[in-house]
Amino acid sequence: MDTVKKVEIMDSVKKTKPEIRKKSRKKVGVGQYILTSLLAAYTVFCALPIILVFVSAFTDEKTLVTKGFSYFPAEFSLDGFNVVLRYGKQLIVSYGVTIGITTAGTLLGLLLMSMFAFALSRKDFRLRKILSIYLMIPMIFQGGQLASYIIFTSNYHMKDSIWLLILPLSVTTMNVIILRTYIQTSIPDELMDSARIDGAGEYRAFFQIAFPLMKPACAAVGFMMATTYWNDWQNALLYIDSNSKKPLQLLLINIQKSIETLLNSRNIPSTALAAMQGSIPQYSATMATVITVIGPIMIAYPFFQKYFIKGLTVGSVKG
Amino acid sequence: MKGLLQNTWKHRAHVVMCLPAVLVLLFFNYVPMAGLVLAFKKFDYKLGIWGSPFNGLDNFKFLLASKNAFINMTTNTIKYYLIFIIVGTFLNVALAIAIDQLVFKRAGKIMQSIMIIPVFISYAAVQFIVYAYLNTEGGMINNLFGTSIRWYSEAGLWTIILTIVKMWNSVGYGSVLYMSALAGIDSEIYEAAEIDGADKWQQIINITLPSLVPMITIILLLSVGGIMRSDTGLFYQVTRNSGTLYSSTQVIDSYVLNAIFKNSNFGFVAATTFFQSIVGVVLIIGANKIVRKVAPENSLF
Repeated sequence: MDTVKKVEIMDSVKKTKPEIRKKSRKKVGVGQYILTSLLAAYTVFCALPIILVFVSAFTDEKTLVTKGFSYFPAEFSLDGFNVVLRYGKQLIVSYGVTIGITTAGTLLGLLLMSMFAFALSRKDFRLRKILSIYLMIPMIFQGGQLASYIIFTSNYHMKDSIWLLILPLSVTTMNVIILRTYIQTSIPDELMDSARIDGAGEYRAFFQIAFPLMKPACAAVGFMMATTYWNDWQNALLYIDSNSKKPLQLLLINIQKSIETLLNSRNIPSTALAAMQGSIPQYSATMATVITVIGPIMIAYPFFQKYFIKGLTVGSVKG
Repeated sequence: MKGLLQNTWKHRAHVVMCLPAVLVLLFFNYVPMAGLVLAFKKFDYKLGIWGSPFNGLDNFKFLLASKNAFINMTTNTIKYYLIFIIVGTFLNVALAIAIDQLVFKRAGKIMQSIMIIPVFISYAAVQFIVYAYLNTEGGMINNLFGTSIRWYSEAGLWTIILTIVKMWNSVGYGSVLYMSALAGIDSEIYEAAEIDGADKWQQIINITLPSLVPMITIILLLSVGGIMRSDTGLFYQVTRNSGTLYSSTQVIDSYVLNAIFKNSNFGFVAATTFFQSIVGVVLIIGANKIVRKVAPENSLF
């Protein structure tokens, strides 16, 4: 198929996207300034907790214990990060696990769901009705945590398997619907037809034409999936035992548990406890760990923002 | 029938493309559905889920016998669902309209970006942030106001705390969907209204809000099936799974999670999850029926 035609069709796809409403206003009223300050206040409300994480990660542990959490600490220190580096080996392993399951799960899920969505978008494919119902049911009816837990562990014998962190989250009804809607609205049937006339089989039509054109939808769904994988603590807590398979979120939970046991298990006067805590950085170290866990998503987010807002828009069209 | 077979053979490539996703759904979604049969069985780990003997309605009798725990977590689940859906939808729509009305588009975009960030922080991490604010000694709130409230043992306050955390977490993100619907409104409608002398509030009430109704319906409809399910992390992590708070924070999902870890009576838990799944499916089908009568174009299926 000649490239000119392909470009033309892609251009027409671009043009069909809804244009953002332009507003012409003569002058900016007082109301606008009130609105701006309200929105700014809400933005600050959203940002403050995140800022607190950063500030307290760099706060001296003694200051944290004696004076408490503050946005303007008396003393700064890098001790928190030093502690993080001290249990460095587990942190690196956990980073590896989290990055591994995030990439593997996102890529695998995108591939499986795109193929599924592509097949479902073929209008003359008669099984698609049954398959659509098959896709919808899990959104309406679920087996629940307990049944899943027992089946995964006692029937599949997958306890402590890294696959349990990847496969259950890889295919979700909503994402398939988003991808299918995108194919239906943004990839013209004529394009697929002309590919077939040019002799491309269905696999080639998918991998060489449809899949590359699905990039915006894949970026949107992919980013959402990646955050789901990155943030998944529940499956890890339920299924993972060995240290070598522990993702970051489970590491965070373990840190909290060990702090709690430390605080609860000793019957020492509070002054002594405070002194002791001052020598073992806990709060600042935890906050430093929180930064290492949420940091990568914060960095990736601005790059994907425009995609996932677009993807959400596409998905909102009912399939 | 023959036509269907022929059609399927013609589309064998598509069947192959569906297969992996279909299998994943089968093993990780459909088989657990069959696992709900556990509610009618006396579970024995050695015999497995299929081999365990049936015990009729014994599990449900047990559920009724210890109904205080069951009623507590069910009412909590529904209570939080209602609060989150009402407050959440209101704030989502209000925020979307506010950003849409803002003349300073660039500032609006930047503020919106910041508002979305909290949704990407896992509850395992949020837990530490909440603790930094609410810790009795050294927590920021107690420090700031010179109080010494023991937040982690005041069950009554947690309805509000969890609502604030949940809204902080989700409103910025939730408003994006409504914003996209707002962007689709034809600007000529507003111009016509302006010429007719409608002020901003009249425009919002008569043009903006009605155009959001389909979106609100679909989102409510989708959420109604989840009435018995909760954002487990919020109730398990953020509350630090603190037992003293259970009376106002224990929801079905966090109870089940605790039960799995404690290896406690699975019969009772199975009966609970069975109830949870059935109520969900009944509600979503019922809600869809109602929507189909009132506004068929907004129904889910």
